[in-house]
Amino acid sequence: MKGKKIIFRILRYKPSVIDPPRFQDFEMSVTDTMSVLECLEEIRKEQDSTLIYRKSCHHASCGTCACIINGKERLACITKVADLDNHIVTLEPLRGFRCEGDLAVSEDWSPLRNVDRGKATDGRDDQKSATRFEDCIECGACLSACPAAHGGNTFMGPAALAAIHNEIEKSPDKRESLLSLAGGPDGEKWCERALDCSRVCPSGVYPARHIAELRKLLGR
Amino acid sequence: MEHIIIIGGGGTGAALAHDLSLREFRVSLYEKGGLVSGTTGRHHGLLHSGARYAVHDPKAAMECARENAILRTIAPDVIEQNGGLFVAIDDSDVEYARILIDHCRQCEVPAKEIDAVLALSMEPALNPNVKCAIEVSDATINAWRLPLQFFATARARGAEIHPFSEVTGINTGTGIVTGVRVFDHKKHRESDVSGDIVVNATGAWAGAVSLMAGISLPINPAPGAMVAVHERLTDRIINRLHSPGEGDIIVPQRNLTILGTSIWQKDDPDSYDLPREHIHRLIDLCSEMVPSVRDTTVHSAWSAVRPLLGKGETDNLWQASRDFRCFDHYTTDNIEGIISVIGGKATTMRAMAEETADLICTKTGRNIACRTNTEKLLNYRLFYKDPL
Repeated sequence: MKGKKIIFRILRYKPSVIDPPRFQDFEMSVTDTMSVLECLEEIRKEQDSTLIYRKSCHHASCGTCACIINGKERLACITKVADLDNHIVTLEPLRGFRCEGDLAVSEDWSPLRNVDRGKATDGRDDQKSATRFEDCIECGACLSACPAAHGGNTFMGPAALAAIHNEIEKSPDKRESLLSLAGGPDGEKWCERALDCSRVCPSGVYPARHIAELRKLLGR
Repeated sequence: MEHIIIIGGGGTGAALAHDLSLREFRVSLYEKGGLVSGTTGRHHGLLHSGARYAVHDPKAAMECARENAILRTIAPDVIEQNGGLFVAIDDSDVEYARILIDHCRQCEVPAKEIDAVLALSMEPALNPNVKCAIEVSDATINAWRLPLQFFATARARGAEIHPFSEVTGINTGTGIVTGVRVFDHKKHRESDVSGDIVVNATGAWAGAVSLMAGISLPINPAPGAMVAVHERLTDRIINRLHSPGEGDIIVPQRNLTILGTSIWQKDDPDSYDLPREHIHRLIDLCSEMVPSVRDTTVHSAWSAVRPLLGKGETDNLWQASRDFRCFDHYTTDNIEGIISVIGGKATTMRAMAEETADLICTKTGRNIACRTNTEKLLNYRLFYKDPL
């Protein structure tokens, strides 16, 4: 299958090797059905085996391949190159996480750890006996896109606030301690209502809505 | 304690790092890419009850049943524990029901026959012409978070986990492996690491890795296609009540439904060409069980490479054993200090680790019992608690 020639402009960075970061272009022929992740796989295999990025499930379930694609946080595995409608695809690592190299960031979810969700699965309303994983896949896209999360402050970010709100609904007995976390020095007060978190979330969590609900509960 | 080097950061490597660190070995694990970036993470997420293998692969069936119960106990947070159904759609499926029930009983795989009315009340999205069903204890694993729980627990006990660190050579003396040469993709630096035993836990990639020590392994990389469609159509796993074949597994997961799978053979596990016709066939076949599969939109399609054991031993790849084997290469190739663990499946990752760690204990003269069947795993988020 012959495809369209696309330039992948990837921000390369290896601590003290490619440092400071710089863009490097890779050209390849892309078919209509190829995802950005499949292109990265081919570039690593055919052009540069030192390119590093994270990936695991290939179906938007693990969240590891989130990166900034043409300026917007997306999952590489479900982003079709054809849908980007551009012959240059720019790839950068998520902001707000420690970059381990190229597109690979370390997912330090310390804010989420403090939430102590107890269970990563939810009961369903319509069928009490069935359980399912929470919608949040912890990909980090919302934190990267949030303008309030990069000012050198201690803001826990949208995913953690959404998790706190979910947890309050699931476990009302923890309401007071969770609300004080949300209303505390690292919490909701930093949110600038930019709504970018909801715009980039690939998993339908809509963190901004949860933050608005938390504000109501906090009487703010 | 002896220093054990694990090559491969998938499910097997993760479970082995946990098992060995629990037995207080010194552990270093090297993965050429990101963690869980090979077969395990791409798996459809089915935690097998064992029923799928009961008729033609009883050993794998019994292993699955045992491991299913253990994983539910040690990692409940990363498993949707909703059970599964094998559904009969035509008369030959109904005939197979009796055979499957009998074999499940022999393999001690819990299985209960239920009628069509009950099956439809449990899962309203099933084909309304369903004839009967067998209820089993399938579940959905979060294929990324389960290995990460093993890694998190191993790290907390001192195991060193190195993603983006490619083993480029296996260092040998006269008839003995002394360690590995590792290229660190983050630092662009190559170095030698010495160890007492090297374990090749690289799944479908095990053939290429063992060749670095001059060892040939009977590994058969056999990819399968998977399709995720938007919407969760069922609570439970739905399987076709027939002899294992194409397009007969539906795995609900979070907001998605995953359809599996197909099978073909490939020498190079790194090639990703997914035959497009497999996608259409999976949708056709799975919609016989759950008709609304056809009305959903495709979210993603991909392939994962099974590490089948044995080369060319069966014409029907669906009948190939999903069992695993631990090779002590001193016994098989007269090379000391290297072990390969190949075959198996995501459901049996802990058991593969147990058998491998038992072999390591035998080889090192240690008498330390395995505890991974009861030791609760730490939350996956703790993996990132300290910088790697």
